[in-house]
Amino acid sequence: MDRLKMLEKEGLLKSRQGSRAVGKFLQNKLAVLGLMVFAVILLASVFAPLITKYDPAMIDLRSRLSPPSWQHLFGTDKLGRDVFARVLYGGRISILVGFGGALGAALVGVSLGTYAGYKGGWLDRILLRVSEIFMAFPQIILVLLLVSILGQSLWNLLVIFTITGWGSVYRMTRSQMLSIREEEYVQALKAFGLSDALIAYKHMLPNALGPIMVNLTLSTAMFILEETALSFLGLGVPLHIPTWGNILNAAQDLTILQEAWWIWVPVGIVISAFVLSINFIGDGLRDAVDPTQQG
Amino acid sequence: MLTYTLRKLLMLIPMLLVITFLIYVGLELTPGDAVSYMVGPDALANMSQEKLNELREALGLNDPFIVRYLRWLGRALRGDFGYSLTSGVPIKDIVFSRLPATLELSVAALLFSTLLGSILGMASALKKGSIMDVSLTVAGMIGVSIPQFFFALVSILIFSFKLGWLPSGGRTMPGYTTFLDRLPHLILPALVLGITMTAGVMRYSRSSMLDALSKDYIKTARSKGLPEWRVNLLHGFRVALTPVVVLVGFRLPMLIGGSVVVEQIFQWPGIGKEFVAAVRGQNLPLVMMIALFTVTAVLVASFLVDLITALLDPRIRLE
Repeated sequence: MDRLKMLEKEGLLKSRQGSRAVGKFLQNKLAVLGLMVFAVILLASVFAPLITKYDPAMIDLRSRLSPPSWQHLFGTDKLGRDVFARVLYGGRISILVGFGGALGAALVGVSLGTYAGYKGGWLDRILLRVSEIFMAFPQIILVLLLVSILGQSLWNLLVIFTITGWGSVYRMTRSQMLSIREEEYVQALKAFGLSDALIAYKHMLPNALGPIMVNLTLSTAMFILEETALSFLGLGVPLHIPTWGNILNAAQDLTILQEAWWIWVPVGIVISAFVLSINFIGDGLRDAVDPTQQG
Repeated sequence: MLTYTLRKLLMLIPMLLVITFLIYVGLELTPGDAVSYMVGPDALANMSQEKLNELREALGLNDPFIVRYLRWLGRALRGDFGYSLTSGVPIKDIVFSRLPATLELSVAALLFSTLLGSILGMASALKKGSIMDVSLTVAGMIGVSIPQFFFALVSILIFSFKLGWLPSGGRTMPGYTTFLDRLPHLILPALVLGITMTAGVMRYSRSSMLDALSKDYIKTARSKGLPEWRVNLLHGFRVALTPVVVLVGFRLPMLIGGSVVVEQIFQWPGIGKEFVAAVRGQNLPLVMMIALFTVTAVLVASFLVDLITALLDPRIRLE
């Protein structure tokens, strides 16, 4: 008993629990594979200037539409820009938009959901209705509606993803809080006279973080897909900024689609691999933090 | 059942009111004076400020916001949704002329994904943990990770350009009269849309089947000595299928959103393509109205789904 208390004091018990989740995650082969693919693509994008010597915006009209070669790994596009460099640099923006949108939605959804889920009452009821309204729209319809109101820019896209995504995070956090609220330690904290905000954010929220992290991962994947779809339609990030979707935008041209596969096939595969790796990681995380969800 | 229906209706109506209100706020925020959409440009140029004000008064544009909203709502309820900015065609006519194409595509994709998804899902539930189950799960994850439009582009490249089996876009050709003539145009977009939806249906029907198979009546059926296929099909599959069908019903209006990208790529003349064109052309009244139409369809469908599930399962309506 004393030994346990000592361990607890030093925070050792907690770290052992943490490592169990890590161990469980590492046992999942697909999750580990996902983590590796994810790391490779992420690092390649971050360190793009070290990997390619080309500037993604540099136009070289003498080597237009040249197929892949040792000089241009993925060939060049209609303006002679190096496609490999564009994929690397484009990854920076696409990943940023995907992760930023998910993070924004999580920040809004979690901070509202934590408090409203704990307190309940009119605030919770109103927020629940509001989130229902947002979720009644098919996602892409709402996104495009907001694009047409706010206009096209990188920042607007982040704001739009936050607006469209907070609802589901809110509902998930809220339901987590509702079940944690019944725990005895919360009753004890209440009896101690701690403020509501302190109980909700400091003592309850950490116990709900697992599912929130899973949600953050999976919505990053979803928003990356949405960014590429929007930019493909020419309605996402402005065309002069290279993003994965903007590179694929060139394939709307039927001759490019038919004759210059190297412009759009590799980037499509990179997007698919990256999103798939995030989904594998999210799945592994879910199994690791919440075994009841395992099917 | 009546109280349940009324309660659900009482939740549906305020929500629709709030949404129409938000849409109206969006319309009012549209840059530009509403008069300029209602009067020809020649007349507008020769008009004095007083005359303009008189006109605004006559059209009711100077009334309080809430009055303008209610008047607009009244017109919308009577089926008058205003006019498209670019073509001047009534928005109602645009929506209803595009709807059949979208419905045709959606229903085809739904049928395909439901059939394939439920069969694969049930099969992997029956052989839970087998290689087939695991690889189907992985295949499902790959399916939701590939961007829909990339999948569409690859299929166009292979089946239209390389093999030349199917047309790459459009819905019909001059001289085509019957559905069978148009069928080749439908196959590719419906397959692309359907396959991307299959993963969801598969996951859902797998867990639904697993749930059904763990019930006591399955054990009873087995202990009565029924052959395994009868147990699985008549007692498991049939029960597990109900939630899947309900899910599918709810998905139909959601598909208007899902088909936006596919319709654009295959130049399918439906609501989704019209919506993208409206967003591109900053044709806000049309954008707002299509969004309103979609949301209304989604909410009404989910209301009906609630009623059906309550009819099938009395426990729900007593909650």
